Amino acid sequence: MRANPLLYKEFRQRMRARRTPLVVAGYFVSMAALTFFLLYENVQGQLVLVLPARSEQVFLLMSLLQMTVVAFLTPAFAAGAISGERERRTLVVLLTTPLSPFGILVGKVLSSSALLALLLVVSLPLYSLVFLFGGAVPQEVLAVFGFQVLNIVLIAALSVLWSTIALRSGWSTVLSYATVGFMVIFSGVVGYGLRLLAQSPMEFFALRWSNDLLALNPLWMEASLAGVVNVSRHAWVLFLGFYAALVAVLAVPAVFRLRPQLWRLLPGDERNYQ
Amino acid sequence: MIQTQNLVKRYGREVAVNQLNLTVRQGTVFGIVGENGAGKTTTLSMLATLTVPTSGQAFIAGYEVTHQPHEVRRAIGYMPDSFGVYDELTVMEYLRFYADCYGVDRRTAERRAKELLDWVDLGAKRHSYVNALSRGMQQRLEIARCLMHNPEVLILDEPSSGLDPRSRLEMRAVLQRLRSLGKTILVSSHILHELGSVADEIGIMRGGELSAIASVNVMLAHSDAFRTLWISGEGPREAWEAAFADDPHVLNVVDKSPAVEVLYAGTVEQQAQLMKSLMDRGVVLYQFAERPTDIEELFLRLTDQGGEAD
Ligand SMILES: Nc1ncnc2c1ncn2[C@@H]1O[C@H](COP(=O)(O)OP(=O)(O)OP(=O)(O)O)[C@@H](O)[C@H]1O
Ligand SMILES: [Mg+2]
Repeated sequence: MRANPLLYKEFRQRMRARRTPLVVAGYFVSMAALTFFLLYENVQGQLVLVLPARSEQVFLLMSLLQMTVVAFLTPAFAAGAISGERERRTLVVLLTTPLSPFGILVGKVLSSSALLALLLVVSLPLYSLVFLFGGAVPQEVLAVFGFQVLNIVLIAALSVLWSTIALRSGWSTVLSYATVGFMVIFSGVVGYGLRLLAQSPMEFFALRWSNDLLALNPLWMEASLAGVVNVSRHAWVLFLGFYAALVAVLAVPAVFRLRPQLWRLLPGDERNYQ
Repeated sequence: MIQTQNLVKRYGREVAVNQLNLTVRQGTVFGIVGENGAGKTTTLSMLATLTVPTSGQAFIAGYEVTHQPHEVRRAIGYMPDSFGVYDELTVMEYLRFYADCYGVDRRTAERRAKELLDWVDLGAKRHSYVNALSRGMQQRLEIARCLMHNPEVLILDEPSSGLDPRSRLEMRAVLQRLRSLGKTILVSSHILHELGSVADEIGIMRGGELSAIASVNVMLAHSDAFRTLWISGEGPREAWEAAFADDPHVLNVVDKSPAVEVLYAGTVEQQAQLMKSLMDRGVVLYQFAERPTDIEELFLRLTDQGGEAD
């Protein structure tokens, strides 16, 4: 905590914010209602007739839904991280402290991920319920949980970077949602569409593109962790590599934004950010 | 302690700061006064490492702002002209956060925060939320915030802008106390006499250039020597004019009906002579009073050569 004062401060602020308990409670109630509904549908009211195979579907459905919800919730908490400080005129002072741009960005990413991770934690009892009904093995639950945390941090990082690059929170929100839209919707729809096209054997390229696009889709990769679809090792390398590269590429202009001294390394005039 | 050498900042074609050479000696307070758009904020934010100079150099505590920004940041406390505060934090938490940013240890931070809050008259607000404080209180809190890491140099950009007269007085009291801490301070304002009782030296900034610099001591010495007399009465115009023309200590006469304002460089006895001379010439005096000299007027008078230069 001492290593990153920003993180500590943000935790405090976020946990005090009035919307935090509302978001957490609202999320838990809707997830619980959904779980009970799915499980009830699953057993058709006859609790003696537990079908683990169908409980597995419940687990898959819940994890995919949870991933989608947190993927779209994360920018709401992260896309204003830096642009919001700028708009509220607190960024200038922050930039005159010895905090490094890296420290500022990391503090922002972790603090905005924290609430989302909390949502995952409160939903764990529901997963154990599904687990009780035979829908999943603990390793799967853990793998899915870990992967969701990874995606939260990833989307938070992308949103915070957009928020540093864009001058206004409005723009950074648009850019962050466009990114999430690409990850969750575009890659999934187009990837899956290409896969259907590729049913005819000559469409080799379509199949390759389909595999590569689906490899970038967190839902698809999550489904593979739940043991529903099969993906190659290459797909994992692609997923991790692509998003790591995206973060690295966006980090360059973001750091330039926070440290005007860097501009003198480039020709031309610097833009004044504060 | 603070020194700039031919400091220039251009925004595209516009020159915001032009060939600025400024020296602030250790432990002194330098006031920059200028109208809106004079380049005060640009100058201060270059010194605070937020903006990079187009050319020229600036040193703070021996460190160069462009090449050693990290060292500069540790040496300064910077208060921007417009700043915001965080929600959902109390005054103490707010100060602790900035102390943490500078790596001040917890115990020192705690002690310093309490001292500083008492010092800026916010001791009673320790546990209030920062965003619930009035603007004047937030501005005083900013001063405390600047001092949390005990910097050698303070850079304050219009610390009393946007305050009502009462809060301005409170802020001025805080600034006067700051002076006694022996810090090197660079403070800006667009009102000259606000800095009169705070600064050791004052520079006037116009169009990005420092057009005049004067020591406040010199000015105050002059303001003792120069008096403004406020005289009203009834009598023939020639009588007034003759009396003023006869007295060599009358520097300037301004008609401010129903009275005249006289800038006077004489002793109290000589003033009495002027009064007598007016009465001898048949003027019936209603009022013959001394007014405090406007430091602004005096400054412009003293630095007339600076004004003509541009
Ligand atoms: N980021 C910027 N981009 C372009 N021009 C700028 C920028 N910042 C300042 N300027 C210009 O530089 C000049 C000096 O501005 P500056 O803010 O330093 O003045 P100031 O003395 O602080 O005025 P004020 O009393 O209004 O605060 C102005 O003409 C302004 O238009
Ligand atoms: Mg200004």
